Amino acid sequence: MTNTSQTNQSDTQTDHITDCLAIGSIVSSNSHMDYTVEIFNETDREQAPGPADCGFGQPVLIQKTVQDTEYVIMGVIYDTHLVDPDQGRSGPRLAQGDQKQFTPGYVEERTKLAGVALLGTAVVTADGTIENPSHQMPRWTLDVEDIVERCPDGVTRAFHTGENGGILIAYMERLLDLAGSLGAEVMLALLDRLRGSFPADEHQRVLDVIEKDVRWQSSVDRGVMR
Amino acid sequence: MSSPSSSIGDSGKLVGTVAGPGDGPNEFFIVTPDEQAVKTGEFITYSVTVESEPQDVIARVTNREQARGLPETFMADPNVAPETVAGTLGVPTEDIDLYRLEATVIGFYDTQMQTFANPRQLPQPGTRLRTAPDKMLEAVLPNLGVDEADARTTRGEVDLSSVDVTQRDGLAHMGWLLNRETGAVDVHVPIDEFAATHLAILASTGSGKSYTAGVLMEEMMMPDVRASLLVFDPHGEYDTLAEMRGEETFRDDSGYQPEVEYFDPDNLQIRISELSIGDVMSILDNPSDRMQERLDGGWRAMQQRESRTWGIDDLLAEMYQQYGEDDSSVGALEWRLRRSIQRNDLFTTDVNVPLEELVAPGRCTVLQMDTLSRRDQQMIATVLLRRLYQARLAAVRGRGDDPNFDGEIIDFPLFSLFEEGHRFAPATGEAPSLSIMRTITSEGRKFGFGLGIISQRPSKIDQDVLSQCGTQVTMKIQNPTDQDAIKNSVEAAGEDVLRELPGLTPGQAVVSGDSMNTPVLIQVRRRHTQHGADSIPATQEWRTAHQQRRDQPSRSESADMGGGESTGEQNLLGGE
Repeated sequence: MTNTSQTNQSDTQTDHITDCLAIGSIVSSNSHMDYTVEIFNETDREQAPGPADCGFGQPVLIQKTVQDTEYVIMGVIYDTHLVDPDQGRSGPRLAQGDQKQFTPGYVEERTKLAGVALLGTAVVTADGTIENPSHQMPRWTLDVEDIVERCPDGVTRAFHTGENGGILIAYMERLLDLAGSLGAEVMLALLDRLRGSFPADEHQRVLDVIEKDVRWQSSVDRGVMR
Repeated sequence: MSSPSSSIGDSGKLVGTVAGPGDGPNEFFIVTPDEQAVKTGEFITYSVTVESEPQDVIARVTNREQARGLPETFMADPNVAPETVAGTLGVPTEDIDLYRLEATVIGFYDTQMQTFANPRQLPQPGTRLRTAPDKMLEAVLPNLGVDEADARTTRGEVDLSSVDVTQRDGLAHMGWLLNRETGAVDVHVPIDEFAATHLAILASTGSGKSYTAGVLMEEMMMPDVRASLLVFDPHGEYDTLAEMRGEETFRDDSGYQPEVEYFDPDNLQIRISELSIGDVMSILDNPSDRMQERLDGGWRAMQQRESRTWGIDDLLAEMYQQYGEDDSSVGALEWRLRRSIQRNDLFTTDVNVPLEELVAPGRCTVLQMDTLSRRDQQMIATVLLRRLYQARLAAVRGRGDDPNFDGEIIDFPLFSLFEEGHRFAPATGEAPSLSIMRTITSEGRKFGFGLGIISQRPSKIDQDVLSQCGTQVTMKIQNPTDQDAIKNSVEAAGEDVLRELPGLTPGQAVVSGDSMNTPVLIQVRRRHTQHGADSIPATQEWRTAHQQRRDQPSRSESADMGGGESTGEQNLLGGE
């Protein structure tokens, strides 16, 4: 993975949720579990996220305070859309080819939208790490303009660690269901990340079994295997 | 109809719930959460109302499959427990397994009919099922003829569990139900039943058929039975039965103890006059039609005679007299008769073991025929069976009262066991004994003459004989031809019995037929006497023999130790 800036590089490994890179804000939702995020561009933020910061399968988090308790709500980018209001417009333009600076309006309105599926929640501790990860469906709804941040690998790891130190991926069925045709792909992308976070042999074997199951299931669905 | 047996409703372990009717008219499905509680072949019970009386219906679990559980993909890597994968994915693993059992209705025990009656009524979905109580199974599984009076408790209720089968006489304790704990449900087979309608013990080599036969023989020699047993033992496997004479188990207060008699070929000779013309034909080499005609004439003339001690010389003299000194067929017969009968030590002119020496109540007679040829074994069986059968016939028809009757009479029932039964009643090929065995298996019931056929090759036994064996003890059989033979000739062998056969281990048996109300799977009990039919431990005996040879000085040296004169033979063996 290549990152756009040096600061982002160090951020990816931390297990603290402070100073995470903001990658966008919520603009709408399709369901309680499925939100649409507008990715920041250079005009929104001084340090706009690069392509690698908001790629497919990128874990994200939203910080939320509920009844005085600080939570993070974990999600994953499972889909993206490009929006260009200019598309289809064939009428006269104000700008000429060599007069870019006079171009007002829609050129700057081109945006990237990302679909974020919620995975679960965790409680934020005083020192900025997370604890008590829950892969249940979050009970609270998010709000428009809530900031979505890139989730560092350390936090991702903490979120996927079960009580006894094993890997926890209890949201899998829900995610596969919600993400539809891209479900298997996003799950495989997440599994790939977890492989890096859980290098122990026993964990790799469990991931193997789950990955094979996901691949097999999607192959069956596509009719290339039975 | 029998009265309700009210006490059963709450006893027995609760095992599952009826899910609905099954494929067949007597089948239904059960759902159970527990993996261990119900095994295939287990007897379970539920209550239905038949003619306004509640009845405890017994059903047999015939199949089990998992209805719910972890998916197979979780088991992709043997190093990773499926529970670990399930835990990772947040799938619950506690108490999620559900099993679906298929059960076949056997029926409720009707104390008037003294057997199972099918209620023709499946349990309602939602009916709770319990394991059938041990004591009840002991009373109703074998054909013991338990009636309402037997089952009535001191309080006047009818309760099949209150019947104590150990108090009943004439039962053979063969073992216990395989599905229950050791000794929980003892299976007592009624000896009267199989002694009348014959018995077959079918099993492949090494699965314990001789052992099972030994158990049955022990039971038949118990003080409450005192059978008259005759064992045809072509392998000499039953020499350990003699231990019964000293065993405390077989004695009783009246001073009874079983007799065990062994007869070897020296005292098993056959008087020539006992042979029928058919027997003689079967041991001669291809006699021509003319020879058969000559022999028939001569034999008939000899049988008219007063004396029963004539021999081949007398027969030949008779034939030469009838057909002339220069008759070529008689000449050819002479050579054949002398070779097959006169020079065979088995046949004699006068000795004839009296039947009362051979068989008696409380006596187990073992005919050790291991040194005889197959044909001679068959011949002994033929002649003995014919004599015994006629003696029983005479007794049953009351000939003993006739002062003119000079034949033999046996006034007690007989039971005769045939080890290697296919030798005496083969499905293919000639055997002189086949005809009398067919007669006894089809008619013996009326005359108190029972046969027990033991064989490892059911397909090689004459189907008429095998199909007449009313009680079957079937042990491990894998050969498909033999399985077919059992299917074709054994009426009681249902599909569920046949399916069990390849999976049985030594000492496990299916008992079915007239002696049982329903086929059951049992573990055969341990014998009181030693088992005598073990294979020879070859490697051990080779080692011992080799060691002995090395330790022993050579024969010539030991001869010299005597210091006497050496003979030429010893010189040849390497001595001085």
